Order: sequence, then C-alpha cells, then structure tokens
Amino acid sequence: MRCILRVECNIQVINKLGLHARAAAKLVKLSAGFESSVVLNNGSASADAKSIMQVLMLAASQETHLLLTAEGNDAQLAASRISRLFENRFGEDE
Amino acid sequence: MFTLHGNGVDAGIAIGRARLLRSLGEDILKYNISVDEVEQEISRLQAGLGSAQDALHQTANQLGEEDSAEVRGILGAHITMLEDPVLVQEPMEIIRRQHINAEAALQMHAENLEGVFNRIDDPYLSGKSADVVQVISRIQGELLKQKESTGRSEEEIFDGEIIVANDLMPADTVRLSSHQISAFITNLGGPISHTAILARSMKIPAIVGLHGGIHYLRTGDLLIIDGKRGVVLVNPDTPILKTYQRRRERILRTHQRLDVLIDERASTLDGHEISLCANIEFPEEMAEAMSLNTMGVGLYRTEFLFMNRCRLPSEEEQVRVYASVLRQTDRPVTIRTLDLGSDKQVDGGRLHGSQIANPALGRRAIRLCLHDLSLFKPQLRAIYRAAVYGQARIMIPMLSNIDEVDQLFMLLEELRQELHDQKIRYDPHVPIGGMVEVPAAAVAADLFADRLDFLSIGTNDLIQYTLAIDRIDDEVDYLYDPVHPAVLRLIKATLDAGSVANIPVSMCGEMAGDPRYTRILLGMGLRDFSMDVAAILEVKRRIRLTDISKAQPLVEELLKTGNQKRIRELVEEINR
Repeated sequence: MRCILRVECNIQVINKLGLHARAAAKLVKLSAGFESSVVLNNGSASADAKSIMQVLMLAASQETHLLLTAEGNDAQLAASRISRLFENRFGEDE
Repeated sequence: MFTLHGNGVDAGIAIGRARLLRSLGEDILKYNISVDEVEQEISRLQAGLGSAQDALHQTANQLGEEDSAEVRGILGAHITMLEDPVLVQEPMEIIRRQHINAEAALQMHAENLEGVFNRIDDPYLSGKSADVVQVISRIQGELLKQKESTGRSEEEIFDGEIIVANDLMPADTVRLSSHQISAFITNLGGPISHTAILARSMKIPAIVGLHGGIHYLRTGDLLIIDGKRGVVLVNPDTPILKTYQRRRERILRTHQRLDVLIDERASTLDGHEISLCANIEFPEEMAEAMSLNTMGVGLYRTEFLFMNRCRLPSEEEQVRVYASVLRQTDRPVTIRTLDLGSDKQVDGGRLHGSQIANPALGRRAIRLCLHDLSLFKPQLRAIYRAAVYGQARIMIPMLSNIDEVDQLFMLLEELRQELHDQKIRYDPHVPIGGMVEVPAAAVAADLFADRLDFLSIGTNDLIQYTLAIDRIDDEVDYLYDPVHPAVLRLIKATLDAGSVANIPVSMCGEMAGDPRYTRILLGMGLRDFSMDVAAILEVKRRIRLTDISKAQPLVEELLKTGNQKRIRELVEEINR
C-alpha cells in the first residue's frame, strides 16, 4: 500500500495587501507545480490552492491565519515552499 | 433625426460617430432560453472564455521591455483567473438552473462576487473585486462581439469618435486622453465634473447631464454635438449637417486666428502686465504649455502618478517624473502635492475606505497626506530632489487649519535634514505655498499669507464649499455661480491678504481660464492666472482688450450687490 503523506501547518498573511489577485496568482502557480493537493482554510472557508478563484474568495487580508493542508508524495516540499512564499510577502515590499 | 439636451461644456461643435463605452452590466441584456438551448449556451460561454483567454495572451505577448513588472503581474493574474475552471462553474450552473443567456449569467455571478468582496472588512482587499469583475467583463465583451459580429476587433481605438458613456471616472479619462476623440457625452455630471474638465483640456466639446438620454443612442449613430447650446443632434438630415459643418469650420478659423497672440504680451490696455501660466497633469503636456510662451506652470497635478496602479510610486520614480517636467523650462513649476480623497481615489479607494458618506469634507488632500506620511514624505523628498533641475515650487492643497502649515514646516525641516545627512542632492530653497479653496482659508487668508511664500486660489472647490453644492451633482449645479457675491468676496479677501503680506496670489481654478470672468478678476486685483493650455490664448485676447481702470468701479459694485438682475447687468457691462 502506498503511503500518502499529509502535512498541516499554520501560516499567516503578513503582506500589507493580503491575498490580492497578483499574490494569489503567484500562490496558484507555485501550488500547481506540486503533485500533492494543497488546501487552505480560513476559519470555515476552504480553498484549493490551485484555483485562483477559490483562493481569492478566501478573502485573506493582512494578519489572517490560514491552515495549510498538503496531501501527497511531495506534501512536505509543497508546504515548506508555500509557507516561504507567504513569509516573503509574495515578493512585495511591505 | 432627434435631439437630446444637456449641459454644454465647450462652445465648440463636433461631428462624428457615436461610440458607446460600456460600463459593466449597463447594456447586458438578460433573456430566457429554452431547455434545449442550455448546452448550446454553455458552449457559447466556453467559446467566449476561449477568445478572452486568447486576447489576453496576445496582449501579454505584446508587452515590451518598457512595460513594468506590475503590468505583467496584473495581466498574468487575469490570465490565471480566466484559466481557472472555477471562474465559469457558477455561471454555467446559473445557465442550467435559470435558463438564461451567458452574458446575464456572468453578470449575476460578477454581482455576487462583488457583494462578497465588499463585505470583507479590509480596505486593501475589498477594492480587489475589481480584478475579478474586469475579467468577467472581458468574457462578456467577447460574447457581445460574437453576437454583433461587426468585425470591429480593434476595441481600443476611438479616433474621431464621440464617446458616449453613463459617466466617466478619472481612470477612464486617463485612458481616453491619448486618443483622438472628437467629443464626449454623458448621462451624469455637471459642468465641472471630470468629463467636463477632461473635455476642456482636450479642447473638445462635451455635453454632460443628459439624464438617461444616451440610452437612445447606439454605437455608429451620426451625432452633431453643439457645445454652446448643449444639444446633441442624432442622425441629422443633410441640410442641418451641412450648416453645422460650415459653423464648425468658422470656429476652427477663429481658433487659428488666436495663434497670432502667442508672441504678444499679456498686457492690458492700461498697461498692466499679466502673468499667464499653464495647468498640467502629465509631463507630455509641457511642450505645448511652453510653446505658448507661458510664464511657467501654475498647477502641476500629481494625482495621476498615484492612480490606476496597485503600488504607490516610489520616491525615485517621482524624482524622475518631476525632473522631466522641470527640465523643460527655466520658469517656475508649481507642483501641487497629492490631492486625493473626494472623487479621486488611489486604486479603487485602497487608501481609505471608499464608502465615506461625504468624501469632499473628509480626509482628503493635505489631511490625508499628514495622516499618512508614508504617502507624503516620498513625494516631498522627491520634489526637493527634483528641484535641482529647475525652479520647483511646492503647493499644498486644501489647507483649512493653520496647524497644518506648522506641521508641514516641521516635516519639511525634518526631510531637509534627512536629505542633508544622507548627502543626497536637493534644493533647500523651494518656495512653499498653499491653495485657498476652503472658505476658512480665504477668510483667514492673512494668517496663511504670513507663513507661506505664495497663495493660489482653487475656485472649483472654493465655490463648491462656499455655496454648499456638490460639484458632481447635476441636480444642484444650477446653483454653481462663480460671481456669487460670497465667492467674489472670498477671492478679494485672499488677494488683499496677499498684497498686505507682499506675497503673490494666483488663481488656478476653472474660473481663471474662463474668459467670461477675466475682466472681473482683473478688476479685483488678480494679476497671476493659471489655466488649462486650451484656454490661454482666449484669455490673453480678453486681457489685451481690457482696461482695468474701467472695470474696477463696476467690479466694486458687483461685490456689494445682492440683486440677481443687477449682478447679470453688471457682468454684461463689464464684459462689453
């Protein structure tokens, strides 16, 4: 039986503009490169991190805490790369 | 043929084809389809989506090196959205459930999304529904295009056309200003709305406040715009068309005769030298402004650097832009610091919530700048730095409180010290002036004049605040009256305060560029005018035909009379 890896971690939106269209596009592009499924939860709302529309509808503003769940062979890598994108403020200045 | 009536903005005449500018949802028709047509409608939706994707990819491929990373980023995000199957999932469901056409289903979806975003309690994010809505309207545009199949693919070329819109936002005006448009007509807006101001700066006629009249127009209708009478003639008969063509020729000829005034002095019959400066918005306008032998720039608006973009302009970018203006003349250039808030907001209101009940009285202009120093400091530093390339002057909009001047001076002192310590080149002697556009500043003009190097009267806001009428509300625009005694007295008080304090007072509002008021203003003592480039020669001609000593006594009476009939008589007599 194949072992499916599942990684959960908490991430915080720290860039000033929050998960706006361009930031969301970066997130989606990064997530789409992984085999694993990546899901973000904002309270009761959840979004497939590979769908920009779902990510936008999360309405995550600055300081929002999100729960990231990656499931699949590269889940560990996906989770760490995606958290880093948030930490780097999506490459924005503030 | 039929006619529509509104407020004429410019006395000119334009003849051309109508071009309806669609704002989202405005002309989206909703109709029912039968159950058998549902799958066909869904294929239509997917085809529309496909063409929207192709079109955007094509745009992205055409981006050159000079296009900023920001533009690429936004375009990339829009493409990602179009390629996300979730985008059309809900509209497809709506088509299946409600049996309606694809455009209307998209419209319902867009409005739902907007509702969701507007509920987000974060000023930065709630404005972001714009991206989604724009993407959806692209698909709608493709669907409509298929249906019309007029073969018009070059969507963004408006040459020679007459723009017909419900209303124009500042963002539209930026986009349109580079096209050869022959006129504007809009449903909303008074004589000093953005549309009107844009039309004047582009030297084209406009008719605003048509109150729903534009719904009778279609793209391609032949229109005559008579700016003087405020009339739109739709699909005119040949004799009328001929008459208007002749009249248009005549107007153009008088315009050309004005050109001989370029090298003449702006002096009155009794020998007063008057200074005429230009109001500009973009560095590209400098060449024309200087070609008219103006005495400099009396108002350089900087808002447009901050609009239609997602990130604020950096200090470096501002230095480059300001320097590019200053380098084009050795005469003074008066740079007005950010005058945002009110009806002009950065990127969909991201600077502060866009739903303020009364933005004109809210935190705008200097109030916003002093509140948000991250916005203000880079601009002031940039002006100080750019000032080494020419004669810059800093002008602060919307002063109402003396404290604001004191705070400003402290801030400027701090910035000069900072620049000095950082060994950055700058000019420490930039004159600092203020705009008088709030009645409080006019009444207490002497207090401001004591502290500042110059004053400039902004009549649009001064009139709006003094007479308590919203400048974009066409239901009260009949009350808009530049020769109301209250307005004239405030102008006079400001001029007098300037001469007591021995500092220059200029005027840069619309009134300064309107030849109907030139003599009145000269009679009150105004000697420095700044106006849109299009008005300069007309006003110069007026000045050259004026004897101030004759206007003065009539103006003095004008300041004292409250009788409307007498006011009209006096204005006529002054202008005779």
